[in-house]
Amino acid sequence: MLWSKAWRETRWRFLIGFALLMCSAAVTVLGYPRLVELMKVMPNTDTGGELGRQIRESIELARDYRGYVWSQWFLKTMSQQWVLFAALLGAGGLLARSAGSGTLFMLSLPVSRRRIVGIRAATGLVELLALALVPSLLLPLLSPAIGHTYGLGDALIHGSCLFVAGSVFFSLSFLLSTVFHDVWRPWLIVLGGAGVLSLLEQVSPGFSRHGLSRVMGAESYFRGGGLPWLGLIVSAGVSVAALYAATRNIERRDF
Amino acid sequence: MTDPLVIETADLLKSYEGVEAVRGLNLQVPAGSICGFLGRNGAGKTTTIKILLGMVRPTRGIARVLGLPADAPDASLEIRRRTGFVSEEKDLLDTMGVDEILRFTASFSPRWRTDLEKRFLQAFELPADRKVKSLSRGMRTKLALLLALCRGADLLILDEPTSGLDPAMNEEVLKILVGHVAREGITVFFSSHQIAEVDQIADHVAIIHDGRIARAGALDDLRESFRRIQVVFPGDAPETTFRAPGVERTWRKGRVVTVLSSAGAEQIVDEAREMGPTSVDVTPVTLKEIFLESVTGEG
Repeated sequence: MLWSKAWRETRWRFLIGFALLMCSAAVTVLGYPRLVELMKVMPNTDTGGELGRQIRESIELARDYRGYVWSQWFLKTMSQQWVLFAALLGAGGLLARSAGSGTLFMLSLPVSRRRIVGIRAATGLVELLALALVPSLLLPLLSPAIGHTYGLGDALIHGSCLFVAGSVFFSLSFLLSTVFHDVWRPWLIVLGGAGVLSLLEQVSPGFSRHGLSRVMGAESYFRGGGLPWLGLIVSAGVSVAALYAATRNIERRDF
Repeated sequence: MTDPLVIETADLLKSYEGVEAVRGLNLQVPAGSICGFLGRNGAGKTTTIKILLGMVRPTRGIARVLGLPADAPDASLEIRRRTGFVSEEKDLLDTMGVDEILRFTASFSPRWRTDLEKRFLQAFELPADRKVKSLSRGMRTKLALLLALCRGADLLILDEPTSGLDPAMNEEVLKILVGHVAREGITVFFSSHQIAEVDQIADHVAIIHDGRIARAGALDDLRESFRRIQVVFPGDAPETTFRAPGVERTWRKGRVVTVLSSAGAEQIVDEAREMGPTSVDVTPVTLKEIFLESVTGEG
């Protein structure tokens, strides 16, 4: 029953995210032919600096369908929209003082705080995994409709890396929700943090090489190398630590 | 032989960032009693209840419920398995329907009483298909009470169970509560600042003031021990101090001296008679007066 309660609390956030990402996945695939047409008539870009480099890199990646899907979907769309929902799904929980949150009612039941928090976290992570995998799996399914193919394995591997590395945002939002009494502050703080991280990665190539975006996008795998194991392990470690700290916070606090 | 204690606290203290909400609380609630927990706003009633249910950890002291330490996580689980609770805010899960919250609560209650569920659903006229958030304040209170009663609990802890109810609904809820307790023989510990309500259903009372128990015991004993003695003199009342035990307060006005005693009237009457009064009258004291005397010194 705790699972069903956790699902009830987060289902609208999940379903909105799911619908949005499914639409984005469809737009990404179906928009490729139009992009190819545009690239044919587009003049050569000779803008200098970091911006020029990024534009040229995007155009180069878009010449190949696999590169286009990776850069458009996993690097851009998912790193923005998915992170937004990861932070949103992590927010809330036992401490949220919204009307009818039932905190005292829950705490009066013979169930441990650890179990309540654990099931809430597990539900959020399962929803997050679904948000990472299901829309990504739509890519190989829809690609034949525009005369292209995208590997199921690629979709699964990129989706999984996105989930493991990006869970950091969920876990931090979850941890902040054991400090703040509303849903919005944890969400906004994590999004602010994600924005700063993204900015740093864009302005500093050195930072970018070891950045979370690279791990979430599994760039090393895309470029023919192996999976970013170190990054994945570190991200998973941070997530586990944040979730553990959140559980301890809830166990220790007075209501 | 005295009844075993269902709730027992000793020197219980809870402070929040240096502010003491409960300070050295010594409370005893005997098994099978209906104990009213009276106090002004901010006296420490809700904090005490939260400590008993493991929602708040005491800073110091002992709190035992059903013989188990309330601050030990495993024991607290067992306490909550055997205790029904209604919070002051009638805090429930608003996203659920009435039927869903019943099933949800039953899933955590090994001793869930489906017979009571049916009976109270009918008695309270609760619509099973309605969303909890759409219930009126009165209906919400009834649902919260139903959820607590159906858990087959040995102890009910109710924090201001009738707050916000109109007098008719208040009466109805109290009647159902008393009827249930009489049938099931459980213990009820309920906080209130409605003295009439406590007077109506409680057999024990604990008055909390400034985080401490100011007065506690069987209601009949309290009523028996508290007396107002009015002594009328032929001229101005003499400036005198009564030596008898239990003198809580003495007023002097013209020819009349009034004494409030918490240890009967006999010795005070004897003392008064030695002063040559024209009359000595002894009258009983209401719970309201006992309460006011305990929390404001103005009984």
